[in-house]
Amino acid sequence: MSQDQDTSKVSDGAEPQPDSPRSAADAPVSSDNILDDRGRRTFLKRAALGGGGALLGGVGAYGFVKSELKGSPVSDYPRIDEAVFKPKDQRDTVLTFIHSKALNEKHPERNIQYNQLQHKDFNFVTGFAEMYSLPWDNSKPGYTQLDRALQMAGWEPLVVAGSRYVANLQPNTPLHAWDQSAVVEERYQFESEKNATDAFKSAARLFGAVKCGIAKRDKRWDYDPLYDIENNRELSWENDFPFVPKTVIVMLVPMDYDAMATAPAWTADGTAADGYTKSSVLANQMAKFIQGLGYHAVGSGNDLGSSVPYGIMAGLGEGGRNGALLSPGIGPRHRICKVYTDIDFVEYDQPHSWGITDFCKSCGKCAEACPPGAIPMMESENGGYGFEPNYEFSDEPGYTWNNHHGIQKFYSDAKKCYNFWVENGSACGACIASCTFNEPDMWHHVFIMGITPKTPGPLHALMAELHPKFGYGHTGDSRKAEKFWTTGEGMRTNTEMKNNIGTSNKS
Amino acid sequence: MELMQWFFMGVLFTVGVFGMAYLSLLVKLKWYTWASLVTGIALILFGIGWAGASFLEGVPQSGAMALMFFCGGGLILMLLTWRYLVVPEFEQAGG
Repeated sequence: MSQDQDTSKVSDGAEPQPDSPRSAADAPVSSDNILDDRGRRTFLKRAALGGGGALLGGVGAYGFVKSELKGSPVSDYPRIDEAVFKPKDQRDTVLTFIHSKALNEKHPERNIQYNQLQHKDFNFVTGFAEMYSLPWDNSKPGYTQLDRALQMAGWEPLVVAGSRYVANLQPNTPLHAWDQSAVVEERYQFESEKNATDAFKSAARLFGAVKCGIAKRDKRWDYDPLYDIENNRELSWENDFPFVPKTVIVMLVPMDYDAMATAPAWTADGTAADGYTKSSVLANQMAKFIQGLGYHAVGSGNDLGSSVPYGIMAGLGEGGRNGALLSPGIGPRHRICKVYTDIDFVEYDQPHSWGITDFCKSCGKCAEACPPGAIPMMESENGGYGFEPNYEFSDEPGYTWNNHHGIQKFYSDAKKCYNFWVENGSACGACIASCTFNEPDMWHHVFIMGITPKTPGPLHALMAELHPKFGYGHTGDSRKAEKFWTTGEGMRTNTEMKNNIGTSNKS
Repeated sequence: MELMQWFFMGVLFTVGVFGMAYLSLLVKLKWYTWASLVTGIALILFGIGWAGASFLEGVPQSGAMALMFFCGGGLILMLLTWRYLVVPEFEQAGG
């Protein structure tokens, strides 16, 4: 036997002394006497070292993921082409345009051009009413009376509050009233900016926000001029808005994973409607809270300013290919609301990156899932990412009237998107359901989100391809609607307690 | 159920650590053999954790894929390591 072979058996030389006292418990357990006293000590020592090392590795990985989830501050957002960029007129947004007969009469060419290019016979104004009048079909999961009732019930609180059109950018609705008569005379004095920030975010959490960030008011993101759809009246920030806002508190309200997974079925609009209702109530409560502290405040949903860039400025996420704010952990499955206020004694958040926009450049799953093809495909020029729209017909003069030009981002054709809503009988949500960042609330998705910023670009494409292979992000699947209608099972006890970010965990 | 999953993984982790420690008493292995075995066990544990979470969230396809790729990959890695790197060491040691 060589010297090498001698040392390869670690237990050699660990023979017990014949005269040493030994209890029954200390007796060797194998014929090779591996676990005698000295061997046992070695065994335990190595187990402790190995286990401790593995635990340290685990703790390190956990810390790494937690750290990555905070994102990295970015200094180059937004990238703007100053030669093109100008504030966005609220009248040139699809959701405002389709609700205003006056605007349609003023711009008949928009409807004509759309129908000519898309070979449609579509009417932007009458479409909205047609959408909800589409009859249900109880043999078609996701399009049944059950789903229509869910959708209508989701909107109902806003209808009762006279604030349904807050989703369509109507300013000064009862829930987001501009009236400042409730502002308390005595101003609460916060000890520090952090103290104030924590207080606002704590209140937002209590009222239902899943995330909350604070941005400086930025005129570039405010609609200017504003437009009162119901009264066909232009509104100005200087003469009509009740105060000069300095700060915008941005909050996210989650939508239900299982309901959104049914997209483009009506079931998905049930959670979208509910999200609008809850976010409107949240913004209303936050505005009231701030007024109670002696400061001016106006709640806001889609109105007043573009929510996505404000969400990015508040450090809540990044802009995605589907045009939505993609927030780590929840992706685009949320509704954004805001509060404009004049308190500036706060710690402002700043834009952060998690590698999400970069990921979108290699992914394109939302574009593939979009029923009308309103989202730029990967094959578009620069993958659909740039300072100007580059979707189909975007080079036709006047066709991109609805886009906010001059910002580097993904541009989508909201006109085609809305046209599909009308044909579908409901808002869609396929770009939300199919998004690689839209995941249920489980540890492995958090892990993947955590390592995404450090993964190289080519791997992003692979991850995007694996997402549907692993069973996530499929749209247009009627079984999802059937599954949704069983998610209430076990809700008496809800032992998993997983409804915190809109995941029932019961599907 | 989620707590049960973590408990089960804790048990597997402990068994894995004790198994490795026991193996270290039996035979002296090269560093890359250890690295390969540890990677294999880590992959299996990761796959079980992933699969458990996927089944709990109601996406069994993800669970099946995790079992196939992560656990399967880990198992194959461990088997190959055992066959081509560990057994020869045993034989060389005069086993």
